[in-house]
Amino acid sequence: MPIRFEKVDFEYSPETPFAFKALTDINLELAMDKMTAIIGATGSGKTTLVQHLNALLLPTAGQVTVLDWQIKAGQKFTKVKDLRHRVGLVFQFAEYQLFEETVLKDVCFGPQNFGVSEEEAVKIARESLKIVGIAESDFEKSPLELSGGQKRRVAIAGILAMKPQILVLDEPTAGLDPQGAENMMELFRKINKENGITVLIVTHNMEHVLQYCDEVVVLEKGQLLMQTDIKTFFENYEYMEKANINPPAIIRFKELLRKNGLEISSDVLDIDSLAKEIAGRYRK
Amino acid sequence: MKNVTLGQYIPLDSFFHKLDPRAKICAMIAILIAVFIPAGFVGYGILAAVLIACILRAKLQFSFVIKAMKPMVMMMIFLTIINVFVIKTGNLLYTLGPVTIYDDALKQTAYIIIRLALMIMTTTLLTATTKPMDMTLGIEDLLKPFEKLGVPTHDIAMMIALALRFIPTLIDEAERILKAQASRGVDFENGSLKEKISAIMSLIVPMFVSCFQRADDLADAMEARGYVVGAKRVRYKQLKFGRGDYIVIIGANLLLALMIFLAYRGTI
Ligand SMILES: Nc1ncnc2c1ncn2[C@@H]1O[C@H](COP(=O)(O)OP(=O)(O)OP(=O)(O)O)[C@@H](O)[C@H]1O
Ligand SMILES: [Mg+2]
Repeated sequence: MPIRFEKVDFEYSPETPFAFKALTDINLELAMDKMTAIIGATGSGKTTLVQHLNALLLPTAGQVTVLDWQIKAGQKFTKVKDLRHRVGLVFQFAEYQLFEETVLKDVCFGPQNFGVSEEEAVKIARESLKIVGIAESDFEKSPLELSGGQKRRVAIAGILAMKPQILVLDEPTAGLDPQGAENMMELFRKINKENGITVLIVTHNMEHVLQYCDEVVVLEKGQLLMQTDIKTFFENYEYMEKANINPPAIIRFKELLRKNGLEISSDVLDIDSLAKEIAGRYRK
Repeated sequence: MKNVTLGQYIPLDSFFHKLDPRAKICAMIAILIAVFIPAGFVGYGILAAVLIACILRAKLQFSFVIKAMKPMVMMMIFLTIINVFVIKTGNLLYTLGPVTIYDDALKQTAYIIIRLALMIMTTTLLTATTKPMDMTLGIEDLLKPFEKLGVPTHDIAMMIALALRFIPTLIDEAERILKAQASRGVDFENGSLKEKISAIMSLIVPMFVSCFQRADDLADAMEARGYVVGAKRVRYKQLKFGRGDYIVIIGANLLLALMIFLAYRGTI
């Protein structure tokens, strides 16, 4: 059950003076059950790419395969609802989608659209809200009374409540406080590892990529620049510099150590093991 | 939703894009009056030829102008049907059971459709070649004489400018919310009445919230930069009349005069 892009092109407003080609010849196969980061500069097409996964955008050329469904350019795709049930997409600035009178009702909205009974939906909604860290006392509040960060959490809960098989998150932590962002990332990691849900996450935060993700997809100007696992990605320091990617602190530190004559194995990717490694050598 | 072409500005570099908005607005008014003068098919032929030449000169694509007419197609069909059934003068052309078609009905319908098409061509020519901001400057200047009567021309222009400024933003916003709700399983096309209402609510409520928020932010931002309602302001962009502007205004008025002449001659 794969996620596959084959020769995918996407053009906004085709055949108008505003035509803009946002994706060009994307060939990509994403591993299931993994947590994959999609990175790239502003305007490189990350949002455009992920919106293909639940058929919000249809390719103008090529073919996208998601789970059992195939979306071909130029063909009407009829199983939209089934697909959207299985692929949960959390939008960039998701807080703007809340509209019900209460937080709880808003989270129920998604599951109910997919035919879950009200009783069941309330149960799932309560669970989802607890998972994302919203207090019981806020369940009956109007979403408008919450802070921006809390609204974002509610929006994420609204998608989790749909129980998707693939969870796609478009910059879910942008604008959250650092600790809140860490908690969110940990939550996604947990969902991925414990519940076996495939997670795709668009992010600008390299620390998060390093700490929480398994694979990286790099886009540049609508083209696929590379797809690789985290270890290989962060090994290639020169490449990151060339691609204007700001490496995480620990990678920078390792690079400085290397320049000063201390080579550290590429398996060492967190401070704990780095500290152990250095201390071990120092003692020798 | 980005496919709405009626009233959209197309950034190109042409004679018409460089004209003073005031000249274009005046010329448009003259042509619109000309369109309503019953100058017969000859008159409409001349107007159409001139407008087509202008559209070419403005480097606009015909497909764009045709698209702008699309929203009117339903109305045109509707008018044709009504006219055919209502107008029963002139020569009988065709009978089919109770349905009779007279040539006056066809002629009247043709007139109306041609007028609509010419009007759309004229207004598209204006809106496609004039930046919304320039348009408001032009409107503000043209309304100047009414200031003496106590009409707050500047405030009106500012409101128009802000409204125009936010149309694309709101379209983007609506599109984003539409997509976000579609991801949550909202079906905006099918479903029972109850589902439809809930679908529309899921779009409208967030739109309202964000509109008010934007309006609030904008008001704060404007005040932070020293905007005071009703205060005298100077203007950064000065409009200047050039040779082309005079040519366009005179040309449009000559065209109007020609139509009046044709109509007058037609009546004797
Ligand atoms: N609705 C649209 N119509 C036309 N062009 C668009 C539209 N949406 C996006 N684009 C263009 O497509 C390109 C890719 O946009 P996209 O939103 O996918 O970028 P992104 O990688 O998500 O950027 P960011 O990091 O800022 O979110 C941009 O250059 C953008 O200007
Ligand atoms: Mg984006």
